[in-house]
Amino acid sequence: MITVSGLRYHYPETDRPALDGIDLSIEAGELVGVVGANGAGKSTLCYALTGYIPHFFGGTMEGEVKAAGHDVRRTPVSQLAADVGLVFHNPFNQISGARYTVLEEVAFGLENLGVEPQAMRARALQALRATGLEDLAERSPFTLSGGEQQRLAIAAVMAMQPRVLVLDEPTSQLDPAGTRAAFEVLRGLARTRETTIVLTEHKLGWLAAFVDRLLVLHAGRLVADGPPRSVLAEAVDQPWGVGATQFTRAVQAARLRGLVAEGTMLPVTLEQALEVLR
Amino acid sequence: MKAEAPRRPSGVEALHPLTKLTLVLVAAMAGAALPTTLAVLAVFLGLLVPLAAWGRCLGAFLRTCLRVLLPFFVSLVLIQGFFTPGPTVLMHVGPFRYTLEGLQVALLFSARLLVGLGAATLLMLVTRPDALMRALVARGLPNQIAYIVVTALQIVPTFQARARSILDAQRSRGLETEGRLTVRLRAFAPLVGPLILSSLMQIEERAIALEARAFSRTGRRTSLVALRDTRSQMFLRWVLLLAGLALVAARLVLWRAA
Repeated sequence: MITVSGLRYHYPETDRPALDGIDLSIEAGELVGVVGANGAGKSTLCYALTGYIPHFFGGTMEGEVKAAGHDVRRTPVSQLAADVGLVFHNPFNQISGARYTVLEEVAFGLENLGVEPQAMRARALQALRATGLEDLAERSPFTLSGGEQQRLAIAAVMAMQPRVLVLDEPTSQLDPAGTRAAFEVLRGLARTRETTIVLTEHKLGWLAAFVDRLLVLHAGRLVADGPPRSVLAEAVDQPWGVGATQFTRAVQAARLRGLVAEGTMLPVTLEQALEVLR
Repeated sequence: MKAEAPRRPSGVEALHPLTKLTLVLVAAMAGAALPTTLAVLAVFLGLLVPLAAWGRCLGAFLRTCLRVLLPFFVSLVLIQGFFTPGPTVLMHVGPFRYTLEGLQVALLFSARLLVGLGAATLLMLVTRPDALMRALVARGLPNQIAYIVVTALQIVPTFQARARSILDAQRSRGLETEGRLTVRLRAFAPLVGPLILSSLMQIEERAIALEARAFSRTGRRTSLVALRDTRSQMFLRWVLLLAGLALVAARLVLWRAA
């Protein structure tokens, strides 16, 4: 569904590449997380997968990125949007401002795609149901809370039924309740395995419990790729700036004190920690 | 469920946006073309007021019109009365003479202003800007222009909210924002700078969000909201436009003849 080969990218007027030699292949229906310190290249990778790089940001791009069958370099972003969706961190700035109700906001992308009104209404309502916003359909998008606005952004992209959905730190501006609601929406979407999801996130506990596979970016390079638990366990001893969950830290401390066997694999989630401590 | 049963518009609200636009445009044209104060006021009282009543917004309509008109009316009555020369002097204030002719000019200008204001106010009260823009886009207006108009109208309240939060942030750092005019003027720069910068930073993200919704895609677009148009409304629009143009033409001919 996604193939990236030899991707190297410089933003305009910069010397250091934001992405450097990325090779990657993601199968249809996979749930892939991307972590890394600030400036590691996570957002840049999201923009490359959705075609904003090079079309929107300019700069110098080498290598090839294919998403949902499109060569992103040769396909305009507005055309890619039908198959590759993007949700980013700021809920407020994702409201188009062109429509007066939540329902119309969700339908905005479908209008641009030329979807027939009857099908459009059904798809918009389905997306609102999936994101728990059905009762707010007639409200102004600007009157929603940050968490609701972020779910609205997800609903608006979901309604377009992209084959690939890229989310760039979608919960970074949300409180714990908003984060939980956003991840529940994503879980619902992931259940069908019809959409390939790539998600960058700093909230490792949530991410590790959600994705099948985790990538680590460090200084624009892909330095780790594998199951979330093993990648995050490895990251603890590396200078990647990824951080660790409270469960990882607790068991790591227990291991240092000899309370847990030396070769024990560090846990990421509460369930894994309980299993280790048992 | 709310989403499947939106409020059904009634009265003038239910008319096609282009019909409403034509009605208020012709009212404004008539207000500008008619030569006497009474005739111009007749447009306001005989067309705009009944339309506002039909749209169930008469109170808001009259309040807005009067609130905006009042300062202009007072200025016009004073300036035109004292500075328009004429033989009929109504009163003397020091070396200045207040003339009946000046008062008549002020009343005619005020009436025209009232009709123009009333037309714009009525359109805003009974038409959602996005519906009007959808109708204009369907008639060939570029989508980008429609977007700018609708967004500008929607963004104003959020812009005000952000200005308030910046002001609060500056106050919490000890900036004085209340009191004498000089104090308020000094507070202006720390408010405007961050407001403009944050708005500029928003532009890039909003452009990305729009592209994610295929905004600049070429090809056929559709609309969730169907705008109901009828043959009788189309006919009415043409009749109104022709009547408005005839009125303006007649006014120009009479003006040249005079």
